[in-house]
Amino acid sequence: MNEAGPQEVARVTPARAIARAIFARRGARLGLAWIALVALLAVFAPFLASSQPLLVVGEGGFASPVLNHLAPEDGALLGVFLAVLVAWRLARRPRVALVTAAGLVTVALIASHTLLEPPRLVAHEQPRQTVAAGDWDWVVWAPVPWSPDDYLRDYGHTGLEAPLEAAPTRVHWLGTEAGGSDLLAGMIHATRVALGIGLVATGIALVIGVVIGGVMGYFSGIVDILGMRVVEVVEAIPTLFLLLIFVAFFGRDLYLMMVIIGLTSWSVYARYVRAEFLKLRQQEYVQAAVVAGLPLRSILFRHMLPNGMAPVLVTASFGVASAILAEATLSFLGLGPVDTPTWGRMLDQAVQSSTFNWWMALFPGGAIFCTVFAYNLLGEALRDAMDSEAA
Amino acid sequence: MHAYILRRLLLMVPTLFGITVVVFAIMVAAPGGVSPETLTAGQNLDPEARKALEAYYNRRYGLDDPAPVQYLRWLNSIAPVGFTVAADGSLGAFSWTKGMDLGSSFRYGRPVADLIAERLPITLLLNALSIPLVYLVAVTVGLQAARERGSAFDTGSGLALLALWSVPTMLAGVLFIGFFASDQYWQWFPTAGTLSREGAAMTFLPHWGTALDALKVLAGAGLGVAAGLGAARLSRPWRVGIGAVAGLLLGGAWGAALPDGGWTSLAALAAALAALLGGAASASVPALRGVALGGAGLLAGLIVAAAVMEAAFVRGYLLDRAWHLVLPVLTLSYGGIAFLAKLTRSSVLENLHSDYARTARAKGLPESDVLWRHVFRNSLLPLVTVAATLLPALLSGSVIVESIFSIEGMGKLAVEAVTGRDRELVLSITLISGLLTLAGYLLADLLYAVVDPRVSYE
Repeated sequence: MNEAGPQEVARVTPARAIARAIFARRGARLGLAWIALVALLAVFAPFLASSQPLLVVGEGGFASPVLNHLAPEDGALLGVFLAVLVAWRLARRPRVALVTAAGLVTVALIASHTLLEPPRLVAHEQPRQTVAAGDWDWVVWAPVPWSPDDYLRDYGHTGLEAPLEAAPTRVHWLGTEAGGSDLLAGMIHATRVALGIGLVATGIALVIGVVIGGVMGYFSGIVDILGMRVVEVVEAIPTLFLLLIFVAFFGRDLYLMMVIIGLTSWSVYARYVRAEFLKLRQQEYVQAAVVAGLPLRSILFRHMLPNGMAPVLVTASFGVASAILAEATLSFLGLGPVDTPTWGRMLDQAVQSSTFNWWMALFPGGAIFCTVFAYNLLGEALRDAMDSEAA
Repeated sequence: MHAYILRRLLLMVPTLFGITVVVFAIMVAAPGGVSPETLTAGQNLDPEARKALEAYYNRRYGLDDPAPVQYLRWLNSIAPVGFTVAADGSLGAFSWTKGMDLGSSFRYGRPVADLIAERLPITLLLNALSIPLVYLVAVTVGLQAARERGSAFDTGSGLALLALWSVPTMLAGVLFIGFFASDQYWQWFPTAGTLSREGAAMTFLPHWGTALDALKVLAGAGLGVAAGLGAARLSRPWRVGIGAVAGLLLGGAWGAALPDGGWTSLAALAAALAALLGGAASASVPALRGVALGGAGLLAGLIVAAAVMEAAFVRGYLLDRAWHLVLPVLTLSYGGIAFLAKLTRSSVLENLHSDYARTARAKGLPESDVLWRHVFRNSLLPLVTVAATLLPALLSGSVIVESIFSIEGMGKLAVEAVTGRDRELVLSITLISGLLTLAGYLLADLLYAVVDPRVSYE
């Protein structure tokens, strides 16, 4: 491995050419910008929407109630974000970047789980009451001064309210949910589910699909015939129905749901990888790798996979979109994760007991639409870029 | 050909076997699985009654047997030949004529076959209406986009279709219901079901009190369409002006129909519709102008005719059905339209630039002949194959659509079966949807041979 020298900077690898071609497209830039925005919202959600003030100045000096209420997941997410930033800066030296990032994530995980201990019982109305009593001299609120699980008990109010229609003492830009909590706060916190489900579920599906498809394509023959029967069986069950069965029988845990969506959507990737590998296995460089006695793992994943990944990446981008849709659909049908705010569950409240609450349809539904659209735009740009690269 | 079909039909058996094994395995592997305890869990019973109910479930459905035995029993009961089962659950003699039995549902206490026979036609009706609509619109839009590659219509429709494809079905359905069916906005369509109570008692066809009224409707519709089509043929400034004015009037009528709408919503709708119709009228594609202005004319004519109609009008069974199905079918089909239109475009484009199309042009054929007689037919091939994958997608879509619009179809039954852990029902629905999917694949392969003479399954 040679060090990154000046001559290496100018080298244009196919991956870099494709990346450049993608960035040249306006649609892809828009899509990436939206996904980046959603990612930022997801990372900084507790500081953007919280009933706890960011900073207070009282008799005991400075204090930051929001830091005291930070959950381990919040800390871990911040750590991951930092690691990604560092890895981005060190992109020239991939190995160093990878090691540093992995170290940072580990440290962040351990630190957040040992140091962060949010109180079990949170009284969201407490800061408001303290302010009303005049115990703090100076308070900095979060941009959205409500937590997603703040049901406004102190206002004695429950139920749905249209945007900006509440009493003058409180402002809800996007209205409130059925439980009385602020919709915008819920939507900001739900970005985590949307992003996490899309990426993790697609990642799982990719791994399963690539391994099964790769083995089928490489060995062909009887392995291929049997494998394709399995793929056919999985494809003959409508995906949504399979998802419903899984979720209804295995419970509605968020992490389980990611695994389940991944488990039900790998067959497309297996098909593509199989088709690519069937073509590639005849190529000289693969034959050479076999003759050289390389282990199977190396032939499959180091020599063949990078050359057969192109159509899979395009499909994966569309796959993220459909994973997000799948979660939203399940939540909408009342089978979503239980204690986590998700866009689909908010959308489900739009038509309740024959009244139509337009803000519950338009805002969460619009957020789902924008995110799915962003991934689809990205997928299409990727496909166009690969097509022009191949041509 | 017959041998091929027979082989494919026989190959379905192991696949269907595999599907049911997968689904059954998921059910029994789940914590709790399918056991009498989970079935009685939600009910408020005293201990003896609970015990009695659990014993009843065990006796009737064999829930205390080991899982493989349960599956084999189920397989035996759905197979046309097998062992007869006595009332106490013990196996009898082997029989060639015992017949298929899908079992009975835990939750409904009725034979699964009856439930499915009730629900399946409604879902099939929804899909049978959606598929032609999807193909008609998608092929029209895709063809036009390919013919004008790189034009404003092409890029615009490309982006719009991708956006349409990204709209979650739930969002579309909820917005449709909220704005066009709820009494807070325009109560133009029913919110639920496939037939109103009085619709079942109506005559099949709509009828009017007097023949004059029927004539008024016909005249209104005819004059409106004629005026719209005539306006579409005028020069650009004229047709844009007429389109804008028509949009203004229609939008005003739309806004005025709002129960408690103020002037702002009226003005906004009038302006939006005026811009939309004016824009459509300025398009350089004659077909697009014709459809937009003709449709606007039809609508205006019908509104005027309805206003001057005197006697009572009875919708009739047919129109009542159609009226109930407008929103569900729209919700079900827009995603397919987006997907298929993109496919049509790329397929037609590929063929337009092919060697045989160039040859056809070189020998002097007019461009319309090249398109319709050569390119279009070949472009149909991928559309036919994709029809098979469209069917499972529509079946999945009907799960959502039926839940939103409270339609008692297979999709809603599937959700109820799964949430109620209704073993027989879940297995039977899996079997039937799997069968439909596989039949769709087979049909697509056969159609492929019909449209492409080079393909032969001999």
